[in-house]
Amino acid sequence: MISYNPHDMADTEWFDRRTFLKHSSAAGASLATLSMAGCIGGDGDGDDDGDDGGDDDGTDGDGGDTGGGEPDVPDGVDESAYWMDMEEPEGREGYFHRANLGAHQEAPWIFLNRQYSNYGKAASLDWEPRSDELIWAYPMSPSGSSLTVTQGQMDSGLDPHDHRETPTDNIVTQAYDRLLMRTPDDEIEGALAEDWERLEAGHVRFHIREGVTFHNGDELTPDDVAFSINRVIDPDVGGLASPQNDQLAGVTDAEVVDGERAVDVFSDGINPVIFSLFASYCNIVQRDWIESRNSDEINRTMNGTGAFQLDSYESDVAVTFEAFDDHWRGAPEFDTLEFRAASEDSTRVNQLIQGETDVIVNVPPQEVSRVQSESSTELAPVPSTRIIYNGMRHDVEPFDDPLFRRAMNHAIDLETIVEDTLQGFADQTAQPTLEGFAGYNEDLDPYPYDPDLAEELVEASGYAGADIELHTPVGRYLKDLEIAQATAGYIDDLDNVSASVNQREFGTLAGELTDGDITTSPHWYLIGWGNAVFDASQTVIPLLTSDGALTSWENEEFDRLVEEAQSLPGSQ
Amino acid sequence: MSLGRFLVRRTLQGLLVVWGVITVVFFLRLLSPGDPVTFIAPLDASPELKERIAEDLGLNEPIYVQYVEYLGGLLQGDMGYSYQRGLSARSVIWARVPATVELAVAASVVAMVLSIPLGVVAATRRHGPADYGATLFSLVGISTPNFWLGIMLILVMSVQFDLFPTSQRQVGFLESWAHLVRVDFGDPSISFPLRVGSFADSLLTWLQHITLPAITLGTYFTALITRLTRSGMLDELGKEYVTAARAKGLPETLVRYRHALRNTLIPIITVLGLQLGTLIGGAVITEEVFAWPGLGSLLIDAINARDWPLIQASLIVIGVSFVVINIAVDAVYGYLNPQVGYE
Repeated sequence: MISYNPHDMADTEWFDRRTFLKHSSAAGASLATLSMAGCIGGDGDGDDDGDDGGDDDGTDGDGGDTGGGEPDVPDGVDESAYWMDMEEPEGREGYFHRANLGAHQEAPWIFLNRQYSNYGKAASLDWEPRSDELIWAYPMSPSGSSLTVTQGQMDSGLDPHDHRETPTDNIVTQAYDRLLMRTPDDEIEGALAEDWERLEAGHVRFHIREGVTFHNGDELTPDDVAFSINRVIDPDVGGLASPQNDQLAGVTDAEVVDGERAVDVFSDGINPVIFSLFASYCNIVQRDWIESRNSDEINRTMNGTGAFQLDSYESDVAVTFEAFDDHWRGAPEFDTLEFRAASEDSTRVNQLIQGETDVIVNVPPQEVSRVQSESSTELAPVPSTRIIYNGMRHDVEPFDDPLFRRAMNHAIDLETIVEDTLQGFADQTAQPTLEGFAGYNEDLDPYPYDPDLAEELVEASGYAGADIELHTPVGRYLKDLEIAQATAGYIDDLDNVSASVNQREFGTLAGELTDGDITTSPHWYLIGWGNAVFDASQTVIPLLTSDGALTSWENEEFDRLVEEAQSLPGSQ
Repeated sequence: MSLGRFLVRRTLQGLLVVWGVITVVFFLRLLSPGDPVTFIAPLDASPELKERIAEDLGLNEPIYVQYVEYLGGLLQGDMGYSYQRGLSARSVIWARVPATVELAVAASVVAMVLSIPLGVVAATRRHGPADYGATLFSLVGISTPNFWLGIMLILVMSVQFDLFPTSQRQVGFLESWAHLVRVDFGDPSISFPLRVGSFADSLLTWLQHITLPAITLGTYFTALITRLTRSGMLDELGKEYVTAARAKGLPETLVRYRHALRNTLIPIITVLGLQLGTLIGGAVITEEVFAWPGLGSLLIDAINARDWPLIQASLIVIGVSFVVINIAVDAVYGYLNPQVGYE
């Protein structure tokens, strides 16, 4: 295990050699201080390091983050510990392991937490929540003939291709099946596709299940499947520019296979995660049904192949389903399913305790004890697919220096934030990819809390006295403001850095981060990112590659590793 | 001026006010930060997708074109399209109006039934225990925050004693009556699925669900009107016409309720009208605590999502409500006190 101990000289060489010396002229005094503190330098010879490192740093140009050039390795340094000095990895997962190691060591983020989904449920209900946040009612076994789910908000219309939010997805997926699904263990299983295969790079085939009927009694055809996929990816098909367009990233077309009950799906490039995409996204609709209705009707009524068919719909109030007895998996175990909403946390908890609902979402930490103390209710926490992190822009001071960014990671007591602020309902992170995802590097541990080292690293970076401001949304993520205040508080406690929090309206902050211009983004910000595909690529590409839509970092070696990974087929 | 002419004149003035509201609200979007497309598009959406969404929503048109088109649509009953929900804004609003009106009216009924007798008793038994009790009640009522009262009522009346459901609007008032009178509105957005058994069951369910939110929302209102009634009655009871009425030998009950209270009602009706207008769109906290699907929480949702067509439609409905209620209040003045007239 690569357990990075900052006080262990052998282990620390991977970061200090390349980056300390960049500042050898600007921060000579700081470097001397740090060297004297015994925290750097395999041989304690700063001058040598400076000479050795000169070439490397010259290639960096903007602060050592571009990763160009072959690094020289000083005597006594464990070459295998530094991500750029290692041998070329093998396989797609190997490349992502290395990329995650690189992200850990270069610290483009302050790595915070993996958010939990805290559900409350009736004790009599047999149900294991899923980490992909989908509340799928089919496998549930309530004690009676009906089941009620209370979410934080209702749907934004019933068109399965015209939304992006989990609450809507939870509702429409009861009635609209997908081609593939994920098991509770996050494995891919067949749904409307009974078999699937990769024919060649950029070309896969789904064999469509026989004997599947829509709720209106019509049989599912491959044409319906192709239409559904094209409706998501092509704004000219099906009457809408689907906001789910990017969820089928890289998919360019879907065609019915002549003479077979199958659909071919084409992609730009190899698209290694294509089966994962279809296990998480793209509900299947009936072509004729969609084409004969306007948007308003499609958003008020439903006709899928799912285990539940729509019984009544009151916008913003309730969606009621009844069991679809002809479902291809067999009829559900109960007759009636209702989705309701209560945005107030305590209201949902009260409903659960009073037996007015069977499942509630987002039990906040302060309500956990109430749910746990009642004999009729239980807490059902599950690690979600969302990571919360602090982005630090690589192109501005003081965040252009990996030393400073690592200092920020050492400055915060992440364990205490998780235990106190989030009351244990979160996992610490050390890399952008979450545990259980393809590409997760199991060898990485979170940065240890070490304010003394953080202060030394800040000194060495030459940015002592920096005054930084953390931009955070409020109420968007569980305890987001409290996490931001704790983070900034720890950093402000350092003797040589001042930190404060700027509370931002989410839409404005998100607009700045997604406008394609990094210079409009805040220098330091808290944001969350969900990845329901269970693959490293869906996090690191948008958030950390040079061309990523929300990137805060630029590193040639990192880009190369990700590109190599994406040119290889995935394991699923 | 006759009542008819008065109503026509006030309606025309009201239309001007509504047009002003529409215009101000429409152009306010220019001042607000953030772009609606940001909310609709995924965080990592490509510029092409964002452009396509903006184009579909008509956001690329010049603002004056959008304004004229919007006004034209309104004249035809088209309040725009909620791009967050994929539904017409009109149907979304219509779905919320019954719940909003029910809650506002129920809170007002709670307030009037309690506050006017309390205020009268307090005034007629000044400095007595009843007066101190009513004054204390009104002080506590005005000082109690809605969110706290709502949560306490739920914890005590629902969770502890199981007397009422904790929240939700399981059935609508009109839905209850639909058991007796089946009405087809011809619009699926205002249809009533008959989820609850008989008329009696349905009405009882409605009553059970609305009681706690109505008390929560009505408490402040009750306290306010109790104080108004008390001070108004004290004022009226000290006037010469009351003395004259008593001197003529009119029964005290008649003096108090036929004469003094009637004159006291004018400021109360004014406050009632203003409060009712406020309740139409301003019962956000109560709606949130009781998961009551009203206009206030819809407006907050729409603002959070930058769903401008829905924001505009909500504000227009709330604005129209204010105008209608105020016209009604002015009309009632003339009935209560003919001296006021319809000038």
